[in-house]
Amino acid sequence: MTPKPDSALLIVGHGSTVNPDSSAPNLERADEIALRELFGEVHCVFWKEEPSMRQVLHLIDRDDIYVVPNFISEGYFTRTVIPRELELTGPVTQRAGRTFKYCEPVGNHARMTELLMRRAAEVAPGVPPSETTLFIVGHGTNLNDNSAAAAKREVERIGQIGGYAEVLTSYMEEEPLISKWDQWATQPNVVVVPFFISDGLHSYQDIPVLLGIEQEITEAASQRSVFRNNPYRLRGRTLYYSSAIGTEPLFAEVILDQVAAFDQTHPA
Amino acid sequence: MKRNLNAALDAWLQQGFRQIGQIVIHPNENGYMLTHEADTERTDLTLYTRATDARALSTLDEHGVFRPLKTAPTLKRGWKLFLPDLAQLRLAVDAFYPAMLGSFFSYQTGQLPAVPLRETLNRQSGMYAVTKKLTDTQANALVGESCNSQSGCLKLLLWKISEETPITSLPPSELDPAQYPQSERGIPLLCAEACNLLVAKAREVVKKSASPG
Repeated sequence: MTPKPDSALLIVGHGSTVNPDSSAPNLERADEIALRELFGEVHCVFWKEEPSMRQVLHLIDRDDIYVVPNFISEGYFTRTVIPRELELTGPVTQRAGRTFKYCEPVGNHARMTELLMRRAAEVAPGVPPSETTLFIVGHGTNLNDNSAAAAKREVERIGQIGGYAEVLTSYMEEEPLISKWDQWATQPNVVVVPFFISDGLHSYQDIPVLLGIEQEITEAASQRSVFRNNPYRLRGRTLYYSSAIGTEPLFAEVILDQVAAFDQTHPA
Repeated sequence: MKRNLNAALDAWLQQGFRQIGQIVIHPNENGYMLTHEADTERTDLTLYTRATDARALSTLDEHGVFRPLKTAPTLKRGWKLFLPDLAQLRLAVDAFYPAMLGSFFSYQTGQLPAVPLRETLNRQSGMYAVTKKLTDTQANALVGESCNSQSGCLKLLLWKISEETPITSLPPSELDPAQYPQSERGIPLLCAEACNLLVAKAREVVKKSASPG
């Protein structure tokens, strides 16, 4: 990417009021990108932490601002909450003397398929995919019909590439619910990859309880000495649970790609 | 006017500003040393040297509890952070107190409009849509409990409940930057709009008052 010293990069994350690890992938990607000196400034803002989206005009010096949602789904947050809080009116918004360029969320990027498959292979080394059910778990919500679409799309693509006996979507808050994983999976091995940005509240604390690998909500990942004890012998299967896809360092490239894609589709 | 927060920070330091929130900034010949305000006389502090260390130092309080509100009066003690230049100082202060330097600059240049709580609540959707039902009385009680500088938040509140309804549950010194003690030469922490933490608490208040018993 050609350096943009007169532009700022703004990474928008969800954040959490209860889990200190939720914002970490956003901040880590921002640090990585800042080191490359491609932008005049690199900042993160959050929905549930500080700095908030509402503080963006005070946080940033530059007038030209690329906004990349570090969100998986093109759904409730990217279509309702972020535009509302940043007062965006479309892909390009002029506001208070600034130009906001609203890029696609990271979860829409074509590399998600490759990253999900790599994460699945890493968490279950030596386990034959031909005897494995792979679950891609999304959040799911009744607030936006499109929120579950990203996970469905990736499952379709992984299915087309082939290798796994079975590739299924499931969700925390929508059917098919991940809590019933043993009803959906037909294979002896089950690999579950959370299609989430961080190992935060949902991915690290909620889903393990729904899977049955934890009896109750544990402490946050950063406050425990062992991340996971894969595999788990559970409900007659061998279960492997990976960390969230968004913790992958290559998400820095994905963020930069979303900026480049914006410039291609919205030439100055 | 072009914004340049590094230059603004430099100017404030030259004017004698030495404190922001619970942090004291000590300029020296090599750069800047930051400490907790209660640690300025201590000699047993652990030294940190990267601006990004500010993040880890401010994530948990002294009991290991997560601090989602960085301006809560719960910054832990026992550290000192050396930063070699102004750019690193700004990064560190932004990590300790996100957007607070910029908010003060905007305030000084007349670009920090306060958003009434009612306006913030009325635009909420999804799980927070219910906060529209928060009454003015409930709002004032909530602000007094959550935003007071002793146990809640060190920011000065610039907003009202609504244009007609002022905040009556906090002392004037926590509402008006003009009453901020200038003798401390501190960069004030300014709140131009209720944060998501307060909106989340408003949701709890409304849900509790709606539930029977």
